Formats: sequence, C-alpha cells, structure tokens
Amino acid sequence: MTKTDTMVNLRKRLEESESLLAMTGCYDGITNLECREQDPLKFETIHMKLRASCVSAREIARRISASPGVREVGEMVAALYTPEGDAIAISNGIMVHVHTMSRFIKWMIKNDYQDDPGINPGDIFANNDAFIGTVQVPDVMDVVPIYHEGTLVGWAGAVCHELEAGGITPGGDVALAQERFGEGLFVCAEKIGLNDKIRRDYIIRCERNLRMPIYWILDEQAKVAACFNMRDRVLELIDEIGIDFYQKISKEFIEEGRRTQLARVRQLTIPGKYRANTFYGHVTKGKPGFQPLGDPDWLYSIPLQMDIQLDGKIVLDFEGAQPWGYHSMNCTPAGMDGGMFVTLTQHMNFEGLVNDGAWLATQLKLPEGTWTNPDSEFCATATSWALLLPAYGAFQRMLSRGFLARGFLEEVFVGQVNSPMIEMGGISQYGKPFGIAHFECAAAGSGALAIKDGLDTAYVGWNPESDMGNIEIWELDMPMVYLGRSILPNSGGAGKYRGGNAFMSTWVINKSPEVRIVTSEHSSRVFDNAGMCGGYPAPTCQMHRVVRNSNISQRADARKPLVHSTGLDQNELTMNLEGDHQIIEGPHITAPMKAGDIFTHSYNGGGGYGDPLERDPILVLDDIIQGQSSRVHGENIHGVRFKGSIEDTTLEIDLPGTMAARKQLKDERLQKAIPVSDWFENERGKVIEGSFAPEVVKMYRAAMNLSDDFSDEFRTFWQLSDSFAFSEPKQGEDKHG
Amino acid sequence: MDRNQLEEYKLLVDGQLPWPQTKNLMSSYKDRDRFFKILAIYQDKVQWQEKILLPIGENLFIVQKGKENIVKCTCGYEFGDYRQNWKLQAVMVVRKTREDLERIYPHSDVCDPSWMEIREFICPDCGTLLEVEACSPGYPITFDFCPDLEGFYKEWLKVPLGSE
Repeated sequence: MTKTDTMVNLRKRLEESESLLAMTGCYDGITNLECREQDPLKFETIHMKLRASCVSAREIARRISASPGVREVGEMVAALYTPEGDAIAISNGIMVHVHTMSRFIKWMIKNDYQDDPGINPGDIFANNDAFIGTVQVPDVMDVVPIYHEGTLVGWAGAVCHELEAGGITPGGDVALAQERFGEGLFVCAEKIGLNDKIRRDYIIRCERNLRMPIYWILDEQAKVAACFNMRDRVLELIDEIGIDFYQKISKEFIEEGRRTQLARVRQLTIPGKYRANTFYGHVTKGKPGFQPLGDPDWLYSIPLQMDIQLDGKIVLDFEGAQPWGYHSMNCTPAGMDGGMFVTLTQHMNFEGLVNDGAWLATQLKLPEGTWTNPDSEFCATATSWALLLPAYGAFQRMLSRGFLARGFLEEVFVGQVNSPMIEMGGISQYGKPFGIAHFECAAAGSGALAIKDGLDTAYVGWNPESDMGNIEIWELDMPMVYLGRSILPNSGGAGKYRGGNAFMSTWVINKSPEVRIVTSEHSSRVFDNAGMCGGYPAPTCQMHRVVRNSNISQRADARKPLVHSTGLDQNELTMNLEGDHQIIEGPHITAPMKAGDIFTHSYNGGGGYGDPLERDPILVLDDIIQGQSSRVHGENIHGVRFKGSIEDTTLEIDLPGTMAARKQLKDERLQKAIPVSDWFENERGKVIEGSFAPEVVKMYRAAMNLSDDFSDEFRTFWQLSDSFAFSEPKQGEDKHG
Repeated sequence: MDRNQLEEYKLLVDGQLPWPQTKNLMSSYKDRDRFFKILAIYQDKVQWQEKILLPIGENLFIVQKGKENIVKCTCGYEFGDYRQNWKLQAVMVVRKTREDLERIYPHSDVCDPSWMEIREFICPDCGTLLEVEACSPGYPITFDFCPDLEGFYKEWLKVPLGSE
C-alpha cells in the first residue's frame, strides 16, 4: 500500500476552512484571487481542463453502464473536490448531486473516517443515505480519494440514479415507503472497495438485496471507472503545474465561483422580498399496500420567501412549510441543497466557473421538523422530488420576477413541474424476475417564457439534459410494448405564451403473467405548478386509464386498428376496447397486471405566462392544426373565432369575430369580478368557521402549529385575534395532528 | 443606444424577436445597461406620462407620481403604493366549482375545488388578467414582490431613484 498522509488532520482542516469562511466571508479565507490576477488565461484553461476531465469521465461511465437510465437518459454526474469536500469542477448531467456529494465527503471527515475505517489510496466509498448526503436511496454516489505522493489532494466522485433499489415496491423511487425501513438497500458512507477494487462481499450484498442487481452493480463499475479516470487526469495536471499551484488554484476556483454568483445576482435581478407558494395533494385512500402510519389523503402547502440582499446573496426561506410525514416525499437538507444547486446552474451559472462557490453565495432556511428538514432520521425520502420540484418551480418563478424587472425578458421562465414516474417489477418478458424505473419522465412540458411558449415534452428541472429515451430501448428492459406516445393537447397552462405540453404513453403488457406498476409524483387534486403574470397553471396530471383483460390480441388478430392513446375526450379506450375499464386517480397502486392489459400514463405540462386573451390568434390556430390544443380551448380561453373546419383543412381565423369575442370576454370578466374587499369579507367568515375540507383545515393547523411567523401572517391577513386557531380534529377524523 | 439593438429589444418586448436572435441574446454576455434600455422602450409604449421606475409584471409598473411611487397598469389604472400588495386593489374572479374550472381546462383533469381554487386578479379598468393564484380556499393572498427600490437604485445602479 502506498504511504498515506499522516500529517494533516482532515477534520481540523475542514473546521479551519469553515472558520476562515465565517471570518473573512471568502471561501477558505481566500481574499485575493492571485492565480487569476497573475494569469487569467491560465486560470481559465486549467479549470477547463478539470471540467473536461469530469465530462469525459461521465461519458466513459455511460458506456460501461447497463442501465437505460444512465445510458439513454444520462442520469449521472461526475465531479472533482478539494480534500475538504468542496466541488471544484463538475460534468453535465444530474448536477443536483454536486453538493450532496460534498455533504457526503464532509460527513466522513467530520465522523473521523481518517482514523476509522481510514482514508487510504485505492479506497472506494459509497453512500445513498440522504441524511448523510444524497436526495433519495436510488441516488448512489461513489467517491475515491486522490493522493499525490502520500498526500490527500482531493476527491473524485460520481453519482448514478439506480433504476432498482430493493424497496417495499419495485423500482428506484419507492413510492410506498412510509419509513426509512421500506426504502431499499442502504449504503451508509461505506468503504466498499480497497486497492482500486470493489469488495466482493459488497457485490454479493447487492446481488442478494436487489430485484435487478445488474443495473446497480454495473453502475458501480461505471462510477468507479469515472472516478479513476478523473483521478488520473488530476495527477497528470499536478505533474504539469506542480502540487502547490494545483492546491492554490483549485481553491481560487471556488472563491471565484462564489463571487461570480453574487455578481450575477446583482447583474440580473432586483434586491427585495419575493413570495410564492405552491401545493401538493396526495391521494391513496382505499389503495392496496397502503400502510397505516400516515394519513391516506393529504394536502401540503409549500410557501417560499426569497430575499435578495444588496450584496447579491439569495436567502430562500421555507418558513410555514408542512411537517414531515409518514410518506416517501420528505426531503433532507442535502436534497434541498441539491434542488437549489441544480436550479442555479440552469438560471444563473450557465457560464463561468460552476462549482460549490455558487452554493456558498446562497442560504437556505429550512425549519426543523418540516418536510424540508425532518427531525426524525427514520422518515422516508424515496420520492422527495414530488415536493422538491414544485418548490423549486416556485423558486424559478421568483427568480424570473427579478429577471423581468431587470429587463432580461429572455431569461424569464415560469418553471419546472413534476413529472410522474413509473416504477415496476414482477416477471419480465424473458421469464425472469425484474424491477425497473421508467425514466421517460425526464421530458415533461416546461413552463412558458415571457417571450415564447414553453418546450413541449422536453424539460425537467432535475436533469437539464432532459431526454425521454428511445421507445425501443425501454421495450428491451420491461415486459410492455408501446401502443403509442402522444402529445397531450391542452396540457400546458394557458397564457399569452402557453406552457409546454406533456405527453402520454399507452402500453400493452407483453409476455408476462405479473407486472406490478406503481407510479409517484401525482398531485391529482391540486395544481402543483402555477402560471405567471396572468398565465394559468397547467392542468393536473391526467389520471391513469387502464383496461384489464382487454381484447387487444383479438383486435390484432382481426387486423383491426389498435388504440394509441386515450384521445382528446379520454374515450378512445372505452370506445375501442373490451375489458375491465378503470380510472385511477393519483398514484397507480393496484393489483398486478398481466399480458394483454392496457396501461396509460401521462406527464405534466408547464404553467403559462401572460393574459391568454393577448395570445396571437395565429399561434392559437397553429396549435390546433398541430394537435397541441383543441378548438374549444382556443375559443373558450383565447377568445379566437374560426371559419372552416380542421377536418377539411379549411380552418382559418375570423379576425373581426375574434376581436369582438375578446372584447366580450373582457367585459364578462369585469361584470363577473368583485372587489377583493368584498371577497375578503365573505372568505373571512369561512376561515373563522373553519368551513373547509378536512385536509385543508389540517394543512392550516399543521403550519400554524409549526410556525409562529405563518400564524402571525395568517391572523394578520384575515384580521383575526392573536389566539385564533383552527379547532382540533374530532376523534377519528385525523390520524396524525 | 445602438439603433439595431433598440429594434432588437423592441421585438423582444413584443415577443417578435426571431429565435436565432433570441438564442444569441440568451447565450451572449448580458449588457450591463439593459435595464435602462428596456425601461425606455416601455416608457415609449405607454400612453401616460409618469416615469417608470421598475416593471413588476407583464402589464404592471412601479412609477413615480409626484412624491409617491405607485403601481400602475399599462392602461393607466393606479393600484397605490408599491409597498402594499396591488392585488388588494384589483377585482377578482374565483373559480371554485368544477364547471368554472373545466371552462378553462377543457378535455383535461382538473383540481378538486374543495382542495384548491383559481383566483384571477383583474385590472378594474381594462379587464386585463394580471395574475392568477392557484391555492387552497382560505389561503392569504400572496404579495409576489416588494422590491428594495431605494437600495436598487442607490447601491446597484448608482443613480438616485427616479433620475436618468
């Protein structure tokens, strides 16, 4: 074994670095960027080399992986860190994990891993525990220390999102987990390899605890190869520029990243207080497999406040958030960091040095005991994206308000949305047990921009490369054959510029006696996105339409047309197929399906921007011709009047009719509208009586119990007494107050 | 201002800038004086005289009126001091029945009106839909944005509020 560093106490070094940041306000106490000042070109060139090594390592890994999630959709990221665990350079991909990996490295340092189990050359460490540093169990991260002549000079790290995690339900995002103990295989900051080799006993543990170990194990090989590749590139660079210069410049990169973020905020936004809220509703009452710990149906409000300070620092406060619960949608501070980081990389740090410096220029306030910062490490985080995505979509809208006010209209973006996932398992088309997460969800509709429509079927916030993957690849890995992938008309929120539309997929189960399908991130009872400046939220995600025991085989034998979607009026399946038709609200949690059954699944569209009556009639017509929206949508919401018909290709705009209709719709608005003061008086009475749905009352009660600020604000708005509270639930009405 | 750039920004504000130019604008370094360029374009478009200090929405501006800084609609309607939530001075339509919701979401699944309603905030004068809230019944109206106007002009723009 190579001689290891015994001189530097990593824990003390980390504490010193944090103390220097607190004292000077600069990363590691670096107040002058000497390397940059001496030779700016060399500074940029060296960072570019490091970044290139991360990008190429990720591409190498994607070719080793067996998982379509990594190969097709690119659910992976690679990064380089300082010895203290701060990111210097990162690849493209799921950049969420740049800072979650940083937390993992720091956790090992703070827990004296240097003494036991030791941090030595050739070691490989892995983690997927969100309370140590990741978002959810399927996000498995590997890091290796980089030694140069016996001294630890950094870390190389990589993350892949695993498609099967061995939890209570098959797939990676284990939606039915209500506690940590159902989420699957945990690897808690574990030394899984020595001397550049993954331990055999670790591989055996994976093989025996996962439904589809080939994905996880080959992803481990892929990540480790990526880490070794980055390690080699760093050592080559050190040979070229010297160890002292490498260590100095790599820290300056981070301080430069911090300063750039502050400068960018001052350049693109306006200081002040921004507010937003969004909601998420969960519905599982009466569904099989539901465990009795939590409420079957619940509603969360997600209020956010963003303060942009005069120095350019962004402070994002989740005061008023709901308590963590017995469900899989909680999130740890590491996950919240990750959501912030990946959003900033897309909206502010799209040039220059992207690293942990940007994160240092922000602050998250996560109230303890809420879903953003649970005070129990037993709670589950398997599908934390369900709440993270709406929350950071609201963050995007607040940032965009700043861009709009500053005149950077081309950067205004109504935000990301949830994109419900499918997890499945059972018997594959090859007659073997299987489990997989279907990642075509990485291509929802995006929110609109202030100058154009959102992207159709092409964006999710958590993976900026957003790709649904090829149908043929997915069909290789699951016992389901596509009958169609179709644009969902009208699925983007209406506006002067509409949100991007979503798509739906329709499958027939193929050559399998048993397929369990569980879906997550379905907010069916409330909009979990929003519009901006007069734009509407996108509709709630379409419910699942399912046909069990269908006659599709007989239709195929008779050479009759197959069914490719549910159709505009959601009746294509019922009109054309015999069998047991079901409509399932919220997550699809039902008995297993089998060959010949039909399953449909839809994704979300984005929110709209601006008053829909200001939409260019030509865009409305074009949407109808392209199948992006329906004629009634164009008439009701945009006030466009048409001549001719779509069927005989004679459809055209009736411009005088449109102008008259739009005037009439505006007049109707004003006739129907009431002063806010009148609305207030009426609504205040309902608040005092608490005459809302039980889930709504519980939501308010929970927020008020947890947050004095929320309580004060709620009482002040409604002009209530300081002692106002919603009455406690009656016996049997409420499981966990 | 460069004449071509002025024309480009006018097209941007109107949503008419061709995609290749828009993409260039997105990918290029951001011009440091964009704020004043866009402000001039807005000022030229509106029919009233008050000086625009800050756009805060598609049709809403903070303007200087005498010694007060107030929120004003493109049409000229005034909502009062910018430090108060302009929505409280608007008129509103609340969609809280399935029928009302389905009118704007034809052919789609919609929220459960007992869990969520749509609030439309409308200019009392011109009838323009200025902002939409989707929230649970009983949720306080959100004050979307209260800028630090003084700090912005003094510390970031380095000009007195209302000058230039």
